[in-house]
Amino acid sequence: MTGRKVLTGFEITADSHTLAGYRARGGYEALAKALKTMQPRDVTQEIVDSGIQGRGGAAFPAGRKWQGIDPHDGQPHYLIANADEGEPGTFKDRWVLEHDPHALLESMLLGSYALGVRHAFVYIRGEYDRPWRRLDAAVEEAYAEGLFGENILGSGFSCDLFVFRGAGAYVCGEASSLLGSIEGTRAWPRNRPPRMTVRGLYQAPTVVNNVETIASMAWIIRNGAQAFREIGTEKSPGTRLISISGHIRYPGVYEVELGYSWTKFLHEDCGGLLCNKPLKAVIPGGISSQVMTGMDAKVLTPGEVEGMTLDHEVLRAAGSSLGSGGMIVIAEGTCMVRLLQIMLRFYRHESCGQCTPCREGTGWMHRIIDRIVAGEGRPEDIGTLYHIARFNDGTTICGLGDAAGYAATAMLDNFRDEFDYYIEHGHSKFGGNLECQ
Amino acid sequence: MPVIFINGEAVDTGEHPTVLQAALANGFYVPHFCWHPELSVVGNCRVCLVEQEGRGVNIACNMPVVDGMRIETDSETVRAQRKAMLQFILLNHPVDCGICDKAGECTLQDYHYAYNGEPALSREPKLKGTKFYPLSSRILLDNERCILCSRCVRFTREVSKSNVLGIEYRGDSALVRPAEDRTLDDDPYSDNVIDICPVGALLSRSFLHQARVWYLEPTPSVCPRCARGCTVQLWHRKPEWQLKTLDPSHNTRILRVTPLENPRVNGPWICNRGRDLGEVLERPRAEQALQKGAGVTMMEAIEATRALIAESTRRIALVSSWASNEELRAFQNALGDRFTSFVKPDQLPEEGEVVEDELLIRADKNPNTRAAQDLFGSEAPEIREDADLILVWGEGVDFAQLPRGAKIVFLGSWLLPEVGHADVFIPLSIQTERRGHYTNFEGVVSAFEPCQPRPEGVIDAETLFPLLAAPGGARGRA
Repeated sequence: MTGRKVLTGFEITADSHTLAGYRARGGYEALAKALKTMQPRDVTQEIVDSGIQGRGGAAFPAGRKWQGIDPHDGQPHYLIANADEGEPGTFKDRWVLEHDPHALLESMLLGSYALGVRHAFVYIRGEYDRPWRRLDAAVEEAYAEGLFGENILGSGFSCDLFVFRGAGAYVCGEASSLLGSIEGTRAWPRNRPPRMTVRGLYQAPTVVNNVETIASMAWIIRNGAQAFREIGTEKSPGTRLISISGHIRYPGVYEVELGYSWTKFLHEDCGGLLCNKPLKAVIPGGISSQVMTGMDAKVLTPGEVEGMTLDHEVLRAAGSSLGSGGMIVIAEGTCMVRLLQIMLRFYRHESCGQCTPCREGTGWMHRIIDRIVAGEGRPEDIGTLYHIARFNDGTTICGLGDAAGYAATAMLDNFRDEFDYYIEHGHSKFGGNLECQ
Repeated sequence: MPVIFINGEAVDTGEHPTVLQAALANGFYVPHFCWHPELSVVGNCRVCLVEQEGRGVNIACNMPVVDGMRIETDSETVRAQRKAMLQFILLNHPVDCGICDKAGECTLQDYHYAYNGEPALSREPKLKGTKFYPLSSRILLDNERCILCSRCVRFTREVSKSNVLGIEYRGDSALVRPAEDRTLDDDPYSDNVIDICPVGALLSRSFLHQARVWYLEPTPSVCPRCARGCTVQLWHRKPEWQLKTLDPSHNTRILRVTPLENPRVNGPWICNRGRDLGEVLERPRAEQALQKGAGVTMMEAIEATRALIAESTRRIALVSSWASNEELRAFQNALGDRFTSFVKPDQLPEEGEVVEDELLIRADKNPNTRAAQDLFGSEAPEIREDADLILVWGEGVDFAQLPRGAKIVFLGSWLLPEVGHADVFIPLSIQTERRGHYTNFEGVVSAFEPCQPRPEGVIDAETLFPLLAAPGGARGRA
């Protein structure tokens, strides 16, 4: 077991995702409690007190984001749940959408109440079919029971929810380009200032939260901020959904209490590596995260993983982060050059093409690594890759360019000998292996 | 007013909201591609990076001015970043300056020499793109040269509001393309995108490979094609670069027309018809004075006109709304008391043309109606059947509609069918051959300068009217 549970503490049955199933485990009690006994600012205060950090990648305190909005300033506000889970290796929100959609909906209502939101949105990636169908069914159930619409539960509070399906661009997971996608313009990340809590969707103050962040809020209101704080560590309260994949025996979504031992998680809960290979590296939080903090995920080596606990502070100190919770485990014998090629191909394909350094730099890096993999690498290529990564760092509107650069530098820093070997010999040190054999 | 420090110097930012604008207004040049004073901020070229003390490097075009902030526009970091940005921009740029019309006035070329100047770091083959993509009957797009600054896209969205252009695809395959259901041909301001393109990606078909811009020079002028009176620049060959071997008209032709920025009239824009001034100004010229269709000398024509004026009693003048302020004044002073004068439109809207819109184009297709009406009133021409002399100044009059008994004196510039039907025809110079001013519909006076030689046998209207008014021909014969 991976510690106490916030989101996954129920048994999955044929109807556990329905409204009846959700009600049976105390669902929508928090909403009734909030609407009857709490003022909007009390709800926000509760979230602030819980200390919950954003689960999308940046780990920004969610309560502080909410405090950026005055629910009574007379403007329209929008709350958006970001379910555009496009980060490679990340599939944790999918679990929430499929198995506990009502937790998200209840939390959306609580958030809408706290922030003075009349129209809330869920932006779900187009590739998610079952999660979308489950969510859509849940929205219909909730509407039928009067949980959305006018005068919810007789409280005078009204809120409508729109489920918006994306069209497959990774960059739409970046909050500001997500707004463009909903508005119907080209989904290009927007410059800050202004921040989204000042001018976001349709020029109105907007909060965009990750699905997991929002879905935890119903639990927080139901059980109180103090109960949430007791879970996890002092600075990283609560749990994280970790979607683990790669060379691991039992891949899947695990809810891990923050501060849990990493080694124990890998070797006991997830059953260790495939083929009993030793660990070569771990990408802890998705190959990047759509964040601005520069705390994007890097590759961790076995020595670093040893004795480390899973929480935001420890990983940040190690120069990485839990990011989006998409953990990729890499076993010994994997060719890191080819792995980097795949990562860079992804960034090139998904760069939106707005900022010069990312548009050109991701393509440039991909062409260089392609050439190295084809056996035509040159010694100066390593320096060029570092150069591109350096000048992608912090020079673009969103974090995609930064993340591509971090991916390259992390691989080059840790596995330089493999790259040198590939360039010198024209073939991989490990036979180009990506699978565990 | 907030005061900021740019490179250590205190700068009063005045009304400027961003660091870039404050820096440019105070003489600190910050390079930029995508930022344009008339368009929204997108901040995608990343070339205007500056360093803010304590906050690191960020783009100046989207950096709000905060009192007391310290900005470095040329620090070590900024220079390195800028160099890297130019390396990125040039990564897939073909650098085909030798065959690019923009060479010589290309922002990328200038910045490369000013801020980078190094050979490419990349040894990868450049990505191929579409060359000569036909955006419209007037504009070609070279996607290899395009740096995706999106100025043209924003222009069609925010200024001309035709919403024609957009960007397709992502990353380094992104392309500027017209919307599926629209074409740039419908945008009467489309050619402005050629001017605002910082590189040679958008090319004018009519100017394509016509001349290297450094052989050309601009002459300030005023567009005569509507009452807005946009100030323009007429580009023609420099005198020191005259061609000796080709058709001499190459040396005087107007090769292209660009806007001359004028915040009181047209801002930095003009419409497409203003770009095609050649089609009206360079029509075949009438260079021979005529009397009943037979060639005479200028002096003979003037004598004949004087005689007609002396013989007649009920004289009507149809004054040109293409005449300059000076010419109108000269007519008023010399002959105003002898004629009943009406202002007539020389040009009417053509079929298919945008008659009027909210940006620049006015329904009155003549440049100086306002000044002419100030002098001669705004009543519609009313030609009495018993008129015995009609002075027609400028085109736009159907002689068949004039009273049969009246003699007609025609003053015109172009070889029109009417010239042979007038009793006397005197050829006049056009605006590219003389100095003058037009007053636009709002009363703003703009000047134009000559850039073409006046043909032999043509006279300025300003000189002509005092001669016509002189008594009995004594001075004319001398």
